[in-house]
Amino acid sequence: MDCGAIHHYRARRCRRCGSTRTGEDPLPERGRLVAFTTVRVPLQGYENNAPYPVGIIEFDDGTKILATITDCEPEDLKEGMIMERVFRKIADDGDSGIIIYGFKFRPVVTQGK
Amino acid sequence: MRRVYIAGASLVKVDEYWGESLDSLVSQLADGFSGLALRKIDAVYVANMLGEVLQSQANLGALVAEDLGLAGVAAFRVEAGEASGLAALHAGYQSIRAGLADTVLVLGVEKLSDASPEEAMATSSLSERYDYVGFQGVPQPAIASMMYNQYLKRFEVPQEMVAQFPVMMHEHAAKSPHSQYQFKITLESVLSSPFVSEPLRRLECAGIGDGAAAVLLCSSDALSTIRHDEVVELAGSACSTDIVFPFDREDPLRLGAASRAFEEALARAGVARRDIRVLEIHDSYSILACLLLESIGLSEPGRSGVDLKKGKYSLAGEVAVNTFGGLKARGHPAGATGVYQAAEVYLQLTGRAGECQVDGAKVGAALNLAGLGSCVFASVMKVRDV
Repeated sequence: MDCGAIHHYRARRCRRCGSTRTGEDPLPERGRLVAFTTVRVPLQGYENNAPYPVGIIEFDDGTKILATITDCEPEDLKEGMIMERVFRKIADDGDSGIIIYGFKFRPVVTQGK
Repeated sequence: MRRVYIAGASLVKVDEYWGESLDSLVSQLADGFSGLALRKIDAVYVANMLGEVLQSQANLGALVAEDLGLAGVAAFRVEAGEASGLAALHAGYQSIRAGLADTVLVLGVEKLSDASPEEAMATSSLSERYDYVGFQGVPQPAIASMMYNQYLKRFEVPQEMVAQFPVMMHEHAAKSPHSQYQFKITLESVLSSPFVSEPLRRLECAGIGDGAAAVLLCSSDALSTIRHDEVVELAGSACSTDIVFPFDREDPLRLGAASRAFEEALARAGVARRDIRVLEIHDSYSILACLLLESIGLSEPGRSGVDLKKGKYSLAGEVAVNTFGGLKARGHPAGATGVYQAAEVYLQLTGRAGECQVDGAKVGAALNLAGLGSCVFASVMKVRDV
């Protein structure tokens, strides 16, 4: 609130100015794809997903978030596309471990597709 | 303020040492100091990034001290991700400047060949925020790739301008006996190597290597009392940090920590940017070489590729960059890399760089990064009385 920075994570203390006067807003449903790539050499534990696209989504307030992109092929992606937030499985921690859920983003399906 | 000198250096060839351990690499390294007064060391700072991950080994200070026959000496490990090497050098610089030590051994050691390729990829991402980046399965090269994409777009630069950096690195390494990849590569081979993540290709990334390197730091008092090798002054050392995730920064293409650390090290050394003749930079990805040279003001934004093409960064150029091949071709043994950089600048300034020698080099500098520029160390060295 003091410096006006918006973080995409819950912040007790602003990582830009150090202020503890912080508030919370809901994460927007939609944003714009500003950068992306396709992970062809994956991290350990994500081998089954590769190749997978990841990107930076920018919301109207200027906040940017890193996310995995889902429900599309890498070649469908274009910078500037409108993306929407979806709830997905991120990874699992072995046969007896917990399943990890989180947000991914997918292109908003347009007419003709 | 007390001056700090580098009074000797030792390095082993970066390679994949399947039959060696951290200890045996350290022991090989000590041979390079024959004749020097290792017995009179006040402190040992060990640079290492991944000991507990890959070798199940922490507490490398005590281990290395024992390996060198120095048990009893003050010794501990310094970890700052991939910048551990120059971080340890910085620790040594500080303790001599502060008058707490007269002789410090700064030693980097890392053994990456103990990792499977998947593990190596995971270790390359340890310097990013795990709960944001690693947790989502996003490796560090993917973030570098998105910076690379933005760079090509913003400055309307063809990829060849960036991809020629690894070509130059291999040209330099081809003449260097301690470099991992002593052969040349062509621009065509870089641009036809497989994608790691578009547009970044395999031959634009540093490989996996093991290594150990050390430099001996001394105060001016110690120079008159111990046996030492040729001497250069470690005239400035500095550190700066930045927001960890590049796209959370004001500008993901400006490495602010590099700029700040470099300026501060120059100011401490009392030298100007134009005096630097030899520069070792952290090119774990080709794009980082461009971003670094532009962030520290040696090239205009978007112009480092043009400057390289004109010969500015070759061994005979205005500022010789990565004179033994840099991270790409000398090799990148993670935590040890910064110590290699310091040792290489020392070799240049003492005229012992062999076929890689830069004529008349009197001032040199090194830049060592953790993550994608979230923690940067810079050091400036000069021949005495410059």
